[in-house]
Amino acid sequence: MAGESGGECNRTNAFVVSARKRTMQKVAKKAGESMLFAVASFVAVIVLFIFYFVARDAFPFFQIRGFTEFFTSSNWYPADDPGEFGALAIIYGSLMVTLGSALIAVPMGVAAAICLSDILPFSIRQYAKPVIEMLAAIPSVAFGFFALVVLAPLLQNNGGPMLMWAWWILVSPFVLLAVIVLSDLLTAKIIEPKRRQQMHIFLLILFSFLSIFLLFKVGTVLYGIQILTGTNALNVSIILSFMALPTIVSVSEDALQAVGRDIREGSYALGATRAETILKTVLPAGSSGILAAVILGIMRALGETMVVWMASGNSSQIPEPWFNYLQSIRTLTATIAGDMGEADQVTGSARFHVLFAMGLLLLIISFVSNLISERIVVRQRKILSGQ
Amino acid sequence: MTMDARESSGSAPAQKATRDMYLPPERKKIADGGTAHISAKEFSVYYGEFEAVKRVSADILSKYVTAIIGPSGCGKSTFLRAINRMNDLIPSCHTTGALLFDGQDIYGKFTDEVLLRKKVGMVFQKPNPFPKSIFDNIAYGPRLHGVNDKKKLMEIVERSLKKAAIWDEVCDRLDKNALGLSGGQQQRLCVARTLAVEPEVLLLDEPTSALDPKATAKIEDLIQELRGSYTIMIVTHNMQQASRVSDSTMFFYEGVLVEHASTAQLFTNPKDPMTEDYITGRFS
Amino acid sequence: MNIGTRKILDRSFTAVGIGSIIVMAVALMIVVVPIITNGIGAVFFTGTVEHRKMLFSEFKRGDSEKLSSEVASSDRYRAKVYGMLTDFEAELETMAPEKKVEYKAKYAEVRAALQALFGPLPGDPEPMLTRFKYGQTRWEKAEEKLHDLLYETKWDNSNPDVMAKEYFVSRAIGFQGTSLVKLFPYVKDNMEKLLLPEFTFYWGFITDSSVDSHFFGGIWPEIQGTFFLAVGAMLFAFPLGVVAAVYFTEYARPGFLNSMLRSANSTLAGVPSIVFGMFGLAFFINTLKVSESKSVIAGALTLAIMILPTIIRAAEEAILAVPKTYREASLSLGSSKWNTIATVILPAALPGIITGGIISLGRAAGETAPIIFTAAVSVGSAIGLADVLTSPTPALSWNIYNLASEHEAAAQIRHVQYGMVLALVSIVLMLNLSAIVLRARISKKLKG
Repeated sequence: MAGESGGECNRTNAFVVSARKRTMQKVAKKAGESMLFAVASFVAVIVLFIFYFVARDAFPFFQIRGFTEFFTSSNWYPADDPGEFGALAIIYGSLMVTLGSALIAVPMGVAAAICLSDILPFSIRQYAKPVIEMLAAIPSVAFGFFALVVLAPLLQNNGGPMLMWAWWILVSPFVLLAVIVLSDLLTAKIIEPKRRQQMHIFLLILFSFLSIFLLFKVGTVLYGIQILTGTNALNVSIILSFMALPTIVSVSEDALQAVGRDIREGSYALGATRAETILKTVLPAGSSGILAAVILGIMRALGETMVVWMASGNSSQIPEPWFNYLQSIRTLTATIAGDMGEADQVTGSARFHVLFAMGLLLLIISFVSNLISERIVVRQRKILSGQ
Repeated sequence: MTMDARESSGSAPAQKATRDMYLPPERKKIADGGTAHISAKEFSVYYGEFEAVKRVSADILSKYVTAIIGPSGCGKSTFLRAINRMNDLIPSCHTTGALLFDGQDIYGKFTDEVLLRKKVGMVFQKPNPFPKSIFDNIAYGPRLHGVNDKKKLMEIVERSLKKAAIWDEVCDRLDKNALGLSGGQQQRLCVARTLAVEPEVLLLDEPTSALDPKATAKIEDLIQELRGSYTIMIVTHNMQQASRVSDSTMFFYEGVLVEHASTAQLFTNPKDPMTEDYITGRFS
Repeated sequence: MNIGTRKILDRSFTAVGIGSIIVMAVALMIVVVPIITNGIGAVFFTGTVEHRKMLFSEFKRGDSEKLSSEVASSDRYRAKVYGMLTDFEAELETMAPEKKVEYKAKYAEVRAALQALFGPLPGDPEPMLTRFKYGQTRWEKAEEKLHDLLYETKWDNSNPDVMAKEYFVSRAIGFQGTSLVKLFPYVKDNMEKLLLPEFTFYWGFITDSSVDSHFFGGIWPEIQGTFFLAVGAMLFAFPLGVVAAVYFTEYARPGFLNSMLRSANSTLAGVPSIVFGMFGLAFFINTLKVSESKSVIAGALTLAIMILPTIIRAAEEAILAVPKTYREASLSLGSSKWNTIATVILPAALPGIITGGIISLGRAAGETAPIIFTAAVSVGSAIGLADVLTSPTPALSWNIYNLASEHEAAAQIRHVQYGMVLALVSIVLMLNLSAIVLRARISKKLKG
């Protein structure tokens, strides 16, 4: 019955094959596997090639001009004869918009991630995630176009009022909160209930007046500001922060999800509110994952080309004063994109190679931060699984 | 050569004695029963350093149903999966000793595990039909082994489904997705799928643990139907099931084969105190 | 802290979280809504008779009889305008010399504004550029030009502390006492009869090629270029990525080499897109010389290495999501490993792999930086399939940048830019949406 096809004779030798056939099988298997390996290692080969080819064209620049000028001077006149290749202002510009976008995107992104993982009900979360994915999918050139054609004129024409409104909307709730918390903390030591209540109310009123005065003062100053050009570091920082947000939100949400339910339940069981649970137990446990998310998000802002090229104003200067986000700046990526077209004609000149030097700088920064974030993620996974 | 040497090493009277031990006292006689189909000799399975199956020696008789019982993590599943080399999927897994199938070493140098698995079919804990039609599920194996003729495939499918006692339930929807069947039906489909490649041995790894009592009864009936046609090994947690369906039973504890005897004997008169403790429910 | 404050803190914490999500959603709206509303304007708009003239002579489309009757009717009204011009020219000759110089300059401005509105005036030489052969093709642009005709723009520089403010002075006042003063109210009152505005659905915006660097016509060359580049990139990256994912999930053993390969993968995912462009230039064009200079193939290869890590990750995830039991079942039936992968695992993982592929396709279509040095040109006609190996192509992403930042009359063709952005964004978002839907269906299927 068992072998309708096979009788007694091939029953015994059914699965044992000749040595030669077995060797052939093994060789074929190894060959197939190594072919797959070759394809898989193609990625590694590409990474090496990228480093090699960018570095190969970057080194001649340092041979011709040395390191000092590139990193310490901000005179960028590559087209002159002899040209000047001080990239300090450009590097500073890159760092400036990266920092600016991080200042906007990190608090917002982490808050949104917390909201997605801990606050919103699952039914809403289901719809929020695709929206974030859509935001991530919008091409950078569309963001750049928006920055140049919509946001820049808005900033240029109504910059002061916009800044004032942003100040009021974004800052006043937090100031109000600070007033409440501060007056509570200051009166916490008074033991007698009646006196404490009186003191509490007095402090509340006092601080409220103080803070409204402060908000109003700063608001008027902001209202008076005239933005000379809409294509400036602020514009770019805002747009870049939107581009970095999806990465920050989704990676930190994963990190927060990885922090188990039991930790949260433990905290709730001790009488903590949701905010306290999240701030004091969940965030510390997921902190390294969030750090990795922040690094990835910042890298997206640093490596972004089209938005900064279109909307940063492309002027190679360190703003006066150095934190003035309302002036035009220039970044590494935009310089590469903008100057390659002309420099391409004069292959071999410092003007061509300096762009590769900038590319190498970007490449090294991204490589290092990638490595760091990867380490962090691995470490967090180890810590969490160890618990 | 070496194989012959090994085979002749087991002396005839000793084999006779053990065989009698496993024989069922009051069951229908099985023609061609009673010869060792699979035999383990000092057979061990390691996961890295850990010895999951410890120097097991046993003969599994041809055409009989052998049940393997024991507490969780005792190595019973590992032993079962060693027979058709499913443990190869785990990279750190290796074996010592000998495991013979029809006198040939399963872990021999020249063993083609693909041909071996064709001879030794397996049904898993959870029903695992492919996300394809019922027909394609059954025809998957025969197609692999070179049957492409539509008519012939249809014959095989029908025969296998009939053998697995599920033909009547699915004959009108062979082109429907197999995932649409109930759990019990899926499991019988998996049996049919295994039968379609015409194996000699059928390994059942807790085939009813994911099923409700009614579906379980159907599977047990099916095992009774197949008894006598295939060498069947079934791992089970359920001692009643073992006593219902099997001819002989092996009791594993911490990787060691504690006792191997005919089912009637093992459940009524166990030799080892540990076996007795287990079957009387003193530990599990 | 007392419990009331703690509760307030808790509430406000929730509010901050929800607020930031709302801000993100609003930001998405603020970006997307103007793009959609203005972008639709590239296809649906109020077109003038000039638009229909342009369509007829550049693309041979339209009803010639209807058009000639329309042209005749608008010309009847225009003839009056032109008559006023000739009257004024005659009057100009009779003026005193210093007045003549003053009015001549002003008159030249009026003529320029009229040219912009109606196209070449009688007696003008045949223009070299197509953009000057026609008047305003779009009604809202025509209204802007009408404003230019009626008012002179001046800048108020009186206060040096604030930026100069613009203000308008009526031209009619400047021509007070001359015969030309009648012209301004006439044009203003008869605009509709002069230009015959009519609701237009210009589907050709998608399928036409551009005329005179996007002053007229459509964006077909860009759409086609984007298609070639994105699909070309997929042709290289998809098979490679899937095979690599099979290796990583089915064959790779944990160890130093494997972790190196994985690091390489995430490094590649983090490389700034502009560096891919540099690498494409230095490697594919300058070293491998896949083409003389920029070409579609060089751009597609560059995009391919950019999307490769995404495809590998998506395919890996999809393969890992296939239940282990399928593998066991197939192997236990006597299938070889390779056969199991090909007949069971890959088919089961296919929807997931395709989802990843679609998202990568969208990314390849939307990315600009890698193709700047390798594949994109600003102007050009649609290229044939045979030319992909040698010639560069216009592409949506690059031409949006180019038209918005480098075009000599960027502000004149905002509608084209918006149309392009909408085309690109909708291509990318459609791809993403279909991926999301596909994924939702898979997870439903896997759940039972």
